[in-house]
Amino acid sequence: MISELDVIVIGSGHAGVEAAWAAARLGRSVGLCTLSRETVAHMPCNPAVGGTAKGHLVREIDALGGLMGRAIDATGIQFKLLNRSRGPAVWSPRAQADKPRYAAWVRAELESEPNIHWIIGRAGRIVLDAGRVAGLALEDGTVYRCRALVITTGTFLNGLVHVGREQRPAGRADEPPSRDLAQSIKSLGVRWGRLKTGTPPRLARKSIDFAGGVKSGVFHVEHGDLKPVSFSFTSTMSPENTAVCHLLHTTDRVHQLVRANISASPLYNGQIAGIGPRYCPSLEDKVMRFPDRERHQIYLEPEGLDVEEIYVNGFSMSLPAETQRELVRALPGLESAEMLRPGYAVEYDFVQPTELRSSLEMHRVPGLFFAGQINGTSGYEEAAGQGLLAGINASQSVSGRPALVLGRNEAYLGIMVDDLVTKGCLEPYRMFTSRAEYRLLLRTDNADLRLTPKGRDLGLVGHERWERFAGRQARYELNVERLRRSWVRVEGGARVTAAQALRRPELTLAGMMADGDVAIDTSEQDHLLDVSSVETTLKYEGYLLRQQQAVTRAQHAERRKIPETFPFERVPGLSREMVQRFAEARPETLGQAQRIPGVTPAAVAVVGAYLNRF
Amino acid sequence: MFSTSDTIVAIATPAGRGGLGVIRISGPDAARVAGALVGRATPFKARHATFARIEVASGVSGTGDHVVVTFFPSPSSYTGEDVTEISAHGSPVVLSSILRRAIDAGARLAEPGEFTLRAFLNGKIDLIQAEAVADLIDAVTPRQARVAFDQLEGTLTAAIGRIESDLFDVIAKLEASLDFPDEGYHFVGAAEARVALASVIDRIEALLAHSARGRLVREGAQVAIVGAPNVGKSSLFNALLNANRAIVTALAGTTRDLLTERAEIGGLSLALIDTAGVRETADVIEQEGVSRTRATLRVADLVLVVLDRSRAITAEDRDLLAETALQPRVVVLNKSDLPGVITEAGVAISARTGAGLDDLIAAIANELAAEVSGPRDQPAVSNVRHTVLLERARAALLCATEALAAEVSEEFPLLDLQDAGQALQEITGRRTSDDLLHHIFAKFCIGK
Repeated sequence: MISELDVIVIGSGHAGVEAAWAAARLGRSVGLCTLSRETVAHMPCNPAVGGTAKGHLVREIDALGGLMGRAIDATGIQFKLLNRSRGPAVWSPRAQADKPRYAAWVRAELESEPNIHWIIGRAGRIVLDAGRVAGLALEDGTVYRCRALVITTGTFLNGLVHVGREQRPAGRADEPPSRDLAQSIKSLGVRWGRLKTGTPPRLARKSIDFAGGVKSGVFHVEHGDLKPVSFSFTSTMSPENTAVCHLLHTTDRVHQLVRANISASPLYNGQIAGIGPRYCPSLEDKVMRFPDRERHQIYLEPEGLDVEEIYVNGFSMSLPAETQRELVRALPGLESAEMLRPGYAVEYDFVQPTELRSSLEMHRVPGLFFAGQINGTSGYEEAAGQGLLAGINASQSVSGRPALVLGRNEAYLGIMVDDLVTKGCLEPYRMFTSRAEYRLLLRTDNADLRLTPKGRDLGLVGHERWERFAGRQARYELNVERLRRSWVRVEGGARVTAAQALRRPELTLAGMMADGDVAIDTSEQDHLLDVSSVETTLKYEGYLLRQQQAVTRAQHAERRKIPETFPFERVPGLSREMVQRFAEARPETLGQAQRIPGVTPAAVAVVGAYLNRF
Repeated sequence: MFSTSDTIVAIATPAGRGGLGVIRISGPDAARVAGALVGRATPFKARHATFARIEVASGVSGTGDHVVVTFFPSPSSYTGEDVTEISAHGSPVVLSSILRRAIDAGARLAEPGEFTLRAFLNGKIDLIQAEAVADLIDAVTPRQARVAFDQLEGTLTAAIGRIESDLFDVIAKLEASLDFPDEGYHFVGAAEARVALASVIDRIEALLAHSARGRLVREGAQVAIVGAPNVGKSSLFNALLNANRAIVTALAGTTRDLLTERAEIGGLSLALIDTAGVRETADVIEQEGVSRTRATLRVADLVLVVLDRSRAITAEDRDLLAETALQPRVVVLNKSDLPGVITEAGVAISARTGAGLDDLIAAIANELAAEVSGPRDQPAVSNVRHTVLLERARAALLCATEALAAEVSEEFPLLDLQDAGQALQEITGRRTSDDLLHHIFAKFCIGK
């Protein structure tokens, strides 16, 4: 075992695995520090990847050369494209995952990567030298030296699990929390917060009469798409649907039970101080905060093809185990269901991400990177995206190259990081398409056009992927030009270019191709992508142009850099409140400065005026 | 934050004061915008006063005003950028119209203190001066500015706030449809959204329709004093002002320029305009004054037609009475201290002795009250900035409504709705995507 490494990654969840993989692929020697190989890429909550905006993140991770897209394509058991009835900018892939297969697939990828060295043990203390990262000491005293450290410890820092009045320190169900490491990070003087999240009970598959539930009409079978689409741009075939989910609804009896037992819920008796995600309300919140709603959706989702556990999506809670069992059995069709383990709420410490730069490196400690849930986010995809960027940038910092920072106009990944480092978190941060001001430009069909060249420049995109992408990019550009120059006859007899004809809502490129009106160049593997990105580019050209113009207008502020050491307190006329807000968020550009909550346009203009004067 | 590289425009002289007004344009397009305003294709000569004619406003056809345009090329200008200054007669109506036309020609309405900020950026003023600027623009952040507004504008902001909030609700529901497609909710349909937007548009249009009334209250009603030479217009002007500002002589044609003065009369703020004698004349300079008088007649909110009751009605008097018959006016019969010979109905006064002035003030107040009160439930849009923003919102809302009618997916009309929302939020205060999500989560039970 070597004790001198370029990069050490603490944690092997979805952030950690991407970070380790990326840094290793970029040629760094990487130490991956984890409690056990058994929990690599574990999914402690819902058995799914993707969804609105999250699916965009996965496509972007893939386009840059990350793992998640390929992992879910290989191990997903049901695939759906959400928002199919809407415009292409909001089409988002989602898949049910086979949890153990997903984890095994990722672990095998990491194990086949020679630059990754496994450090099985408990991370204890960050070793500093002259204020910058120099290594990691395990709790057992072993010291590994490194030049960059990526911390991806999820909910493990001072984790506290609640089930009813029962509380126990834990990072996840049955896994011990990290206390020494929490202490070590806190001693750096960073700002902290405490958040909360939760997960529902799991049921025994064999105890549920699915066919009976469907027959009596209380379960509704949810199928995947007829033609499933894959996440990864490298996929060579359509994934297959091999599982179904079941939809049912809560009843008044369930709501009554919750109300009757509400005082036993740590969420409602003051036991939990952390702030939970509003987009993922617990059953307690659903019932208490929305008393007018007659019923709530519940999905029964398999955790894998050979897994006995059934995930009860929509039923997350922290009531006592006995009450949970009663509640499960109050659900229609689940009268004799057996609960394997109860749901729980977990409180954990997170680092205010305003402590970070856009590279995810900490302002005050060079070489120290943070990614994932420890930054206040929630979701596997959000974690994986940050992990990928932190891994890339840890590698870049070791080799003295500039960090990869993606603009808000370039990627959802860029929006996420920018939101985190300028605004910080008040509740767990989840990606939504409404966070993207240039939403029409950031589509799943052009994630590769936006990001694969960047991945290539970094060295993350291998030869095979690049060859395929280069062909697809060349076809795309050629096809767009071709449709601008070929003429078709439209209803009413007028002759217009194919590009103009496509703007008509009733015409589709596939339809025009089928009618023999136009022809474009496609490859067998990427036929759908070839068609859809050309069609979108031309059909929505007017709207896309408007968004491009908005990007151009904003560039002026985005390009004006604020030096790391800029003395906000010396800018005349800035109120103390403004100085404090700037000092906490440490904006790197004027663009970021104007997005800091509570900062006035005038204050930003004054800062802009003084930028070149100190 | 605002850009520091585009072309900005503002009225550079204090609001509502008479005499001369200056519109200042600064930025790369300063000369082009000014050229467009006066219909001039050839470049302006640097630092040279160029006499030009400008159409005041499309709504007041045929009215023009003579202006002086001076072009200061970068870097020898106030801001260090290309600057053009347009000097015009100081009527707030005229200046606002020129401002509007400059915005239509591509300039952006300047934020408070922005000219000075640019002067600082370009090294035209020093740090100590700039500190004062920083204080100034820091004071004009939306919240403080709202506090500084008078009661009437406060009501207006509240009214726009209610409109913005209804629009925001539609936006939030459409956004929710996109971000939460499988929650079992039907947030809002295209038809329902259009109904809600129609109400938003109606209310914006109602505000815009009353923008003229708002100006009346904010800048004061424009009250023009007109009449044939020597009927005592300037004497009346001075009597009303209680100040000896206009030179009063018995020589016909003395008052060549328009004199404007603000006065509080009957509880109303008035911009009182003394005009040159309306008379057909061969004198070129006087002709200019006369044509300006006619322009003033067309834009004035109230006209005081002054007749000399001690002499018989002349053809000129008769023309003037005919010309003003269809607009709010008060006929003033001056020189009641002399024996009267005319039989016209009107308010008899003596500008010299002050007799009858109270009756006249009551008559003015009475006429204007009808104008000012209007429908009481509508607050007034009184400044160009608000008008521009409301018009921008309306245009974007119309585009969005059209897209919704065509059943285009939500993200497309949302592009326009966000534009509209941003325009309104420039009046009511900024919102973020977190506010949006907060609104959705507060209203709907979302998430599994």
